[in-house]
Amino acid sequence: MKIAKEPLIAELIETTRQNLNALTHFKEQTATALNWKANAESWSILECVEHLNRYGKFYLPEMERSMKNTTVPGEVMFSSGVLGEYFVKLIRPREQQKKMKTLKDMNPLGSELSVKTLDRCLMQQKELLRLLDEAHDTNLTKAKTAVTFTRLIRLRLGDTMRFVVYHNQRHILQAQRALASYVGVG
Amino acid sequence: MHAAGLFEQQLEVSRNEHLKVQGSVDTNLYYVVQGSLRVYVIDEWEEHTIRFGYQGSFITALDSFITEAPSEYYIQAIKKTELRVIDKNAFNQFMKTPEHSKLWHQLWELLVVQQLERERDLLTSSPLERYHRVLQRSPRLFQEIPNKYIASYLRMTPETLSRIKKS
Repeated sequence: MKIAKEPLIAELIETTRQNLNALTHFKEQTATALNWKANAESWSILECVEHLNRYGKFYLPEMERSMKNTTVPGEVMFSSGVLGEYFVKLIRPREQQKKMKTLKDMNPLGSELSVKTLDRCLMQQKELLRLLDEAHDTNLTKAKTAVTFTRLIRLRLGDTMRFVVYHNQRHILQAQRALASYVGVG
Repeated sequence: MHAAGLFEQQLEVSRNEHLKVQGSVDTNLYYVVQGSLRVYVIDEWEEHTIRFGYQGSFITALDSFITEAPSEYYIQAIKKTELRVIDKNAFNQFMKTPEHSKLWHQLWELLVVQQLERERDLLTSSPLERYHRVLQRSPRLFQEIPNKYIASYLRMTPETLSRIKKS
C-alpha cells in the first residue's frame, strides 16, 4: 500500500505529541493513582508505561541504526509492506479491540516501578520525535529494522515507526482508562 | 491589535503540556491571554531554552512560521496557559494594509534587535555578566518564570543561578 510520506510523518508526530502530553498529565497524579489497578491481571498506569519503555529500549536504537545504514535518498510515497501493514492494523487502537497476549519479556506485571518510569518514557518520546524529524529525509521504504518477537522477519522503517507510535498510543489509552476507573472508584 | 476575525481560535494548554514538538510544521502565531510558555530545542539530550512567552505577548515557532517547513522547536506551557490562535494567512492579510504594514515593519525591527541582544548574551562568557544583561533587559523573566528554565536560558546550571542570585 502506498502512503504519502509527509502527511504520514505529520500524523505520527502529532500522535506522539498527544502521547507526550498524556504522560505529563500522569506525572501530576499521586503514587496511589499511578499504581492502582482494577484487578490483579490488569495493568496500572505505571505498568502500561513500563511496557512501552521496554519496547522503546529495543526499537529506538534499532530505528536509529537502520537510519544510519541507509544511503538511499528519501521518497515521496512510502510503500508499506504486507507484514508491516498487518502488524500496524493489529496494534492500532480502535473501538472494541481484542485483548492481546504480551510476550513474557515485555510483561511489566509486578516489576519495580516509580515516577522514574514516567521520566524514562518522556525521554523516549522526545527521542522518538528526533527520529521522526529525521524521517523527513530518510527513505522509509528501503531502510529495514528487526522486530522483537522473531528473527525471521524485518520490517520497513516506515512500518516500524507506525507500529511503535500506534503501540504507544494503544497503551497510553489503556493507562488513561486505568486513571478514569481510579477516579471513578476514588 | 484589535482586528476582528484575526484571533479566531482559542486554545488551552495545561501545565507542562506541549503545544508543538520537534519535526512538526506550525505556521500559527499565538497570543498569550494568560500563563507562560517556553520555546526550546534538544541537543544531545540537553534542553536549551530559547525564548519565553508571557501574558500579553506573542509566541511562535518562528522558523516554521516563515518557511512553512518542519521545525525542531518545542513549545511547552510552563503553567496553565490560555492562547488565541492567529492563522498565518489571516495575519498576512491583516498586515497588508498600509497602516498595519508600518506596524509589521516595526515589529520585525524590534525582533532583529532582540535577536542581536540574544546573540551578544550567548557570546558573553561570564555567567554573572550574562545574568546581569538579562536581568536588566527583562526583569519580568525573573518574576514569572521558574529558576530551572531561567538557568537553561542563561546557559548555566540552576545551582550556579541560585548562587549568583544570593551574592
